[in-house]
Amino acid sequence: RRSSDLQTLLDEEERELLAARSPVRSTGSFNYATYHTLDEIYAFMDALVAENPGLVSKLQIGKSFEGRPIYVLKFSTGANRPAFWIDTGIHSREWVTQASGVWFAKKIVDDHAKNPSLLNSMDILLEIVTNPDGFAYTHTTNRMWRKTRSINAGSSCAGVDPNRNWDAGFGGAGASSNPCSETYRGPRANSEAEVKAIVDFVKSHGKIKGFVSIHSYSQLLLYPYGYTSARAADYQELDSLAKASVAALSAVYGTKYTYGSIITTIYQASGGTIDWTYNQGIKYSFTFELRDTGRYGFVLPANQIIPTAQETWPAVLKIIEHARDHPY
Amino acid sequence: RRSSDLKTSQKVGTCLGTVFFQTNKPHPSVNVNCTNNKSPKQVREDDYSLYKEMKKQTDPVTGSDIPDSNGHIDPSLEPHWNMAISASSFVMWEKSSEDVHYYMAQVKSVKQWLRKDDFIDFDYNILLYEIPTEEIIPCHIRTVWYPGQRLKVKYDCSSALHSEEGSSEGQPDEGSASYGNF
Repeated sequence: RRSSDLQTLLDEEERELLAARSPVRSTGSFNYATYHTLDEIYAFMDALVAENPGLVSKLQIGKSFEGRPIYVLKFSTGANRPAFWIDTGIHSREWVTQASGVWFAKKIVDDHAKNPSLLNSMDILLEIVTNPDGFAYTHTTNRMWRKTRSINAGSSCAGVDPNRNWDAGFGGAGASSNPCSETYRGPRANSEAEVKAIVDFVKSHGKIKGFVSIHSYSQLLLYPYGYTSARAADYQELDSLAKASVAALSAVYGTKYTYGSIITTIYQASGGTIDWTYNQGIKYSFTFELRDTGRYGFVLPANQIIPTAQETWPAVLKIIEHARDHPY
Repeated sequence: RRSSDLKTSQKVGTCLGTVFFQTNKPHPSVNVNCTNNKSPKQVREDDYSLYKEMKKQTDPVTGSDIPDSNGHIDPSLEPHWNMAISASSFVMWEKSSEDVHYYMAQVKSVKQWLRKDDFIDFDYNILLYEIPTEEIIPCHIRTVWYPGQRLKVKYDCSSALHSEEGSSEGQPDEGSASYGNF
């Protein structure tokens, strides 16, 4: 037999072995229009990597408080490139975000087949379940859980708000010092393993040029700052990029978004992710708040997952393309 | 602002609300006036058919987690979701200030109390979502209603920090909800 026949047989056998063990047979048959468990999302990631060797790899950037691995998918066609970071699910109850992250992963792969130019200049890094302990908890115990599940010394209340735990305005107004609060900042900046993992990764990567952190809900596109009313130095550019991004989003289904700095658009918040990344020099730092505006809120119907992801992706792409076209 | 029907998103009228913050007064004065595109006759008919549906129950209606974790609502429970939104809107009205506002996040449970008199009577446990604290506030709400009358709401919300009680009895007409007559 010719060696290509043998290789085909081996590949097929490997896929069958993987499928037999895994809750996810293939990303082609995966149901994107339903909410999934942590195990299912992790199995999806493995399937995506297995189907796209040389394009997609899975990096473990750390472990959660309860010891769960924290994974980032890396989409790359070459070494030593600048990268664009996207995270979903930092607040575990915001289920449409993890679900959108899964859809984005597949979208990136599908689009690459048609148009490889995007990944020619930049890697994409995608952390789908940024808060795995919280996510597991929303499935087993409390659908409305937001924070990490770390134990707070001297308190019966668990968890730290991972979007108040970053070293940007830490300790200032816009976060709580009460462990029982949903916006508890933690005992110190980067106390949370989930946050420290990203901080360490970003610092050692050194070439991340854009950073989008995805939340729900409210239909907003936000740029720094949250901890201070001082305008970011790149305010003009970020504001016009936000405007263009929101226009791209609305073009899909007419969904209306508002945009602006965190502090003027939503509220004062200290220790936030994109304030830190921006201060690290990652100029194109944005936060999305996805659908809806309060009718369903966190419990967004599953039939809105795909439309939400479909409209959000062009908006994120606008920012990626701008970062690619404006190297710094 | 234009009001939309929650279910169909059709525009059903316009509301004008004025809020006056006055020095040395703890609460603002609020006035809301709404026009309703629905004819008063249609409103009365819709209210009455809902009432009849609820009144004919021989076993008390019960439900939990509306919407459920996946955002799904059983069609038979939709009216109860809508009534809970109505009742919660009164609670949120009382609790809101210029610093804090609310959404109704979920109905954890609904239970009907069957009554021999004309009223329909429901017991809700709902979760409010509070901005900017991000807190989830459980509230217990009792509602009593007869078509054409104001929804009577009694509530008790708890939180780690404090518990408050309130009721719609003695609520001034200004700003109160006469649900058939917007």
